[in-house]
Amino acid sequence: MVQYNFKKITVVPPGKDFIDIILSRTQRQTPTVVHKGYAIKRIRQFYMRKVRYTQQNFYEKLSTIIDGFPRLDDIHPFYGDLLHVLYNKDHYKLALGQINTARNIIAKISMDYLRLLKYGDTLYRCKCLKVAALGRMCTVLKRITPSLAYLEQIRQHMARLPSIDPNTRTILICGYPNVGKSSFMNKVTRADVDVQPYAFTTKSLFVGHADYKYLRYQVIDTPGILDRPFEDRNIVEMCSITALAHLRAAVLFFLDISGSCGYTIAQQAALFHSIKSLFMNKPVVIVCNKTDLQPLDGLSEEDMKLVMEMKAEAMKTIPQGGDPNEEGVLLTMSALTDEGVMAVKNAACERLLEQRVDIKMKSKKINECLNRFHVALPKARDNRERPTCIPQAVLEAEAVAAAKEKEKLERDLENENGGAGVYSASIKKHYILANDEWKEDILPEILDGHNVADFLDPDILERCEELEREEGLRLEEEAAQDAFTIDGHDELTEEQHEILGKIRKKKAMLIQEHRMKKSTAESRPIVPRKHDKDRKFTTKRMGRQLSSMGVDPTAAVNRLLSQSRGRKRERSLSRADGDDMEVDGQHSDKKLRTRSWSRFQSRPMEVVVPGEGLRDSAQKKKAIKKSRDSVKKRNKQARRGEADRVIPTLRPKHLFSGKRGIGKTSRR
Amino acid sequence: MRLEKCWFCSSTVYPGHGIQFVRNDAKVFRFCRSKCHKNFKMKRNPRKVKWTKAYRRLRGKDMTQDTTFEFERKRNRPERYDRILTEQTLKAIPLITKIRHERQKKHITERQKGGKSMSRKKDAKELEQDLQMLPKKDTVAYEATKQKVIVSQLKTEENLMEE
Repeated sequence: MVQYNFKKITVVPPGKDFIDIILSRTQRQTPTVVHKGYAIKRIRQFYMRKVRYTQQNFYEKLSTIIDGFPRLDDIHPFYGDLLHVLYNKDHYKLALGQINTARNIIAKISMDYLRLLKYGDTLYRCKCLKVAALGRMCTVLKRITPSLAYLEQIRQHMARLPSIDPNTRTILICGYPNVGKSSFMNKVTRADVDVQPYAFTTKSLFVGHADYKYLRYQVIDTPGILDRPFEDRNIVEMCSITALAHLRAAVLFFLDISGSCGYTIAQQAALFHSIKSLFMNKPVVIVCNKTDLQPLDGLSEEDMKLVMEMKAEAMKTIPQGGDPNEEGVLLTMSALTDEGVMAVKNAACERLLEQRVDIKMKSKKINECLNRFHVALPKARDNRERPTCIPQAVLEAEAVAAAKEKEKLERDLENENGGAGVYSASIKKHYILANDEWKEDILPEILDGHNVADFLDPDILERCEELEREEGLRLEEEAAQDAFTIDGHDELTEEQHEILGKIRKKKAMLIQEHRMKKSTAESRPIVPRKHDKDRKFTTKRMGRQLSSMGVDPTAAVNRLLSQSRGRKRERSLSRADGDDMEVDGQHSDKKLRTRSWSRFQSRPMEVVVPGEGLRDSAQKKKAIKKSRDSVKKRNKQARRGEADRVIPTLRPKHLFSGKRGIGKTSRR
Repeated sequence: MRLEKCWFCSSTVYPGHGIQFVRNDAKVFRFCRSKCHKNFKMKRNPRKVKWTKAYRRLRGKDMTQDTTFEFERKRNRPERYDRILTEQTLKAIPLITKIRHERQKKHITERQKGGKSMSRKKDAKELEQDLQMLPKKDTVAYEATKQKVIVSQLKTEENLMEE
């Protein structure tokens, strides 16, 4: 069975895209690197491959296009004619033919160039030949660009054609424009055909499906036909004519008896008679539509006569030998009120079915089918009644089961106690324990840093008692032992402890002092002021210490005093006295001696001494301050002096070069 | 839920604390804190690290052998819950721990006995020898309380003879 589905035709790319597709494919699928140093055979092969591959691609692509489009001679005449009506057979064939020729030309070009390439002696020549071959192929394709565009358009249109199966049960609706064909279609099938109150709303064929007696019927809605010569009909009308001519279907000829479509009954009858040749061998039903506006009985006599004539014609289509009942030939209906719609459909289907069965019965193949049929019926053995039997036991058991209360499920419990989200099922109730009261107990797991489970033991009571007894014994023993033990060295008394503490403190002090002494620079006998901040090392103190140790300190103190002299003013005063004496002229040499012996007089720093080069004490003060300030920074940086500008070796060579052996990273 | 012991220091690991390492042979190592975990990662032997229980046990610092330890042991057999038995157990646990603590205390005092007597001896000697370092007024009161040692006649004679 041929499926007429034009949706699967592959897309026809426009000429430019076609070329791009093919060339880029060649570029992608064939090798791209070639050098002139290669053997010439290899170079030739490289380019021949390109040419051949391009040609193959062209061939394949064009072939799919040619094969994809249906050949008008091979398909069902209905489609053949329809396509001819819609797209013009000549044009269509021409386009396909052009593509076929292009395909052949391309094949020829490639063959020529492959032959030439065999004689290409350099890479350059081979390349030129390849370029020429591809260029010519593309030129050929460029020439058929309009055909490709036309085919693409046709493809798109064909994809949108209704998929009519010409061989199946079909009901065809025809008639003048605007007589209610599409309305009927919408009523009978699920198709959604546009219905408008003007002529030629339907411009092409539409397909819907209806069921009757478990069979599927194809309902085709056709555009309206006008009564005019065949040659004058336009494409829209021709669609209907094609369908009428080629489909073996039940024809519903719609008649607008109210005349609201704009055509009189006479005109419609004329149309019927002009196309009645198309109704040959088809069950025809004349449907008088729009009875809500004008009932059939209310027609004028002339019109009635016309209708009856048509009926008579329609009756002729019933094949001889068929039952000559008139029922399903002339029917009335109203698509608006739904009156008679189903009757029309049923009558059409019935008559179509009858006809098809008739034809089948007459065919030669029918015997093969009938031979296979056999309807079997069991023969009655006797006249006894044998109703179904249910044993009594089963019935009783069922009754018992029905009477018994159902076991409560967890789900029932949930529903009783507040439903999902409120009720929480307890697993604990299924525990098997010695006492049911224990089920809800919260089991202690941890106590004072111990796992309770580790201590669980059936005879824990006895063991505990045993342990207590043991402990009691131990304590007794211990007490006895304590009483007995004698330690040679008793604990020191508090007083002793105090004294021992003092001794230790003293020792510690001694050690500390000794260490301090050791650490002071060069263990000088004189303690510098720096280390004697709280005036510890004074003569007075020494005296006190010596006396506390039971030694007479006077001699030591005197010795010290004799060595250092104060700078009391009284001495200079006394000297001044001496000066007075000098006047007398006595002790002159003694005075000189005393002066030389005298201690160098100290003076404040800011006093200017002649020869220092400073103006006055203020200036000197300033200078001192400045010099102190200048060294402040240096001292802070722990520099030795102005010249201390040592830059240490930042990256000592021996630490940063060479392989690492054993040793630390810091010192190697 | 169980309280586990730290693999390194043997302290109790409460639920939600510490970290656990499962080796690819499925052995589980639990650690009470990062300190223990780090020490484990450093491949330290807990027996050689002073602050662990293993060290203390090995050196006899802690009590190891005692009947109280036999009460607490991991049971791998599931037991059916019994309220009476659980009550008894809950009562027994503090008792057992109390006894154990006392015994541990005793163990430690026993252990420290030798060192204590040594230090006492040392103190006494120091007091005897270095008393004169202090000023007299401090020591007078103490000297008075001290017993006079009666030097035997014999000893003096011996001394004289040596001289």
